Amino acid sequence: MSERERRFRRGQGELEAQVLAALGEAPGPVDAAWVRARLGGELAYTTVITILTRLLAKEAVTREKSGRAFVWSSAADEAGLAALRMRRVLDGESDREAVLASFVTSLPPGDERLLRELLERAEEPED
Amino acid sequence: MGVFVFLPLVLPLTAWPVARLAEQRLHPRTATVLLTVVAGVLAVCSTVCLALLMVVGTAQLPGNPLPDGWSDREVREAVPYDEVAGRVAIPVLIAVLVACSRMLWVHWRVRRDAGRALAGLGNSPVAVLPDERPYAYALPSGRGRANRVVVSTAMVACLEGPERRALFAHERAHLACRHHRFLLAVQVAARANPFLRPLRTAVAYTTERWADEDAAKEVGSRRVMARAVARAALVSRGAPASTLAHFAVAGPVPRRVAALLEPAPAVRRWPSVFSTAGLAVWTAAAGATCSALSSANAAFTLFVVLKAATPL
Repeated sequence: MSERERRFRRGQGELEAQVLAALGEAPGPVDAAWVRARLGGELAYTTVITILTRLLAKEAVTREKSGRAFVWSSAADEAGLAALRMRRVLDGESDREAVLASFVTSLPPGDERLLRELLERAEEPED
Repeated sequence: MGVFVFLPLVLPLTAWPVARLAEQRLHPRTATVLLTVVAGVLAVCSTVCLALLMVVGTAQLPGNPLPDGWSDREVREAVPYDEVAGRVAIPVLIAVLVACSRMLWVHWRVRRDAGRALAGLGNSPVAVLPDERPYAYALPSGRGRANRVVVSTAMVACLEGPERRALFAHERAHLACRHHRFLLAVQVAARANPFLRPLRTAVAYTTERWADEDAAKEVGSRRVMARAVARAALVSRGAPASTLAHFAVAGPVPRRVAALLEPAPAVRRWPSVFSTAGLAVWTAAAGATCSALSSANAAFTLFVVLKAATPL
């Protein structure tokens, strides 16, 4: 893996966020060349297309055909994008409970009734 | 070393009573530290003994890379049932090492991926993500990333003002007390010796209780904390229960809420030996000590025997 490629891989999250931010500032649907220019023109055209396609798969952007090329527009903001990625982490890892301490764990059916009773007690005014 | 080499493999059983009683009878912080230390000691000793058995077993196999003298009768006699025990120890030790490395790898990967998922959000200590699924997680710092609390909008929406503060205080307590280290330690231990699994479950519960207690102190009301836990659990209840362990026993969430509705637990140093909890604590401590002594004894004996058997 070349140094540049490695930097690209590491920065994927940041790049996606940057592309999304650029699309958010666009006056309307824009093409990939506009996004590339907006980001300073340092990225390769294919890189921009790759990122846009990845965002499309995450439903963070939409695209439509305009002439021979696609024009892109943003469908989610940065927090929305982070939520999509976070959900993928949570869905993809069967052992996530083992790593991330969740605020609450799932409730077996019997616990639900018990918990409602306890909640009633907790809602009584404090003495 | 005789039968002592097998003892550390079963001595984790001495920690079962304390894993059962600690969560009700000890302060959550004391219980977490005690159970983690006991689990760590027992797991290391059990793995050391497995490794010793494996050395003796490997030396019997034809074509092994160990010195020829290690398969002498004197070495074999150091281990009872050396034929069976040695052969069985090889796959078991490999399985243990694979399971432990996998656990560490999963832990590292989830933290890395979660950190990447939030990379675009800058460095704020709280990330509220628009998601209709309710969740709240504490992401520990690492590799240039600060501690962060991740909460979904659905989770925030189901709580009222003071309860939200309780939720964030709870997650911050996880981060401030570095609970992920205790959890990782007991998870690796439980993979080193399956008899340590009850300790893993117990520590998962006591760290939550510890964070509940700290957060209740911070928001100044145990009831608010209890309501936050109960409401959040009722909203998140869609997920199917993954374990069959809850048989007629209340699960961890109702027990947490019930504990918060009771007065705060006392921070005592050690329970008296003459109480049930005290007896359980001392049984576990004795088991861990026994385990350490047995494995040290076995390691030393094998070292001496192998040294004598190695031609110089």
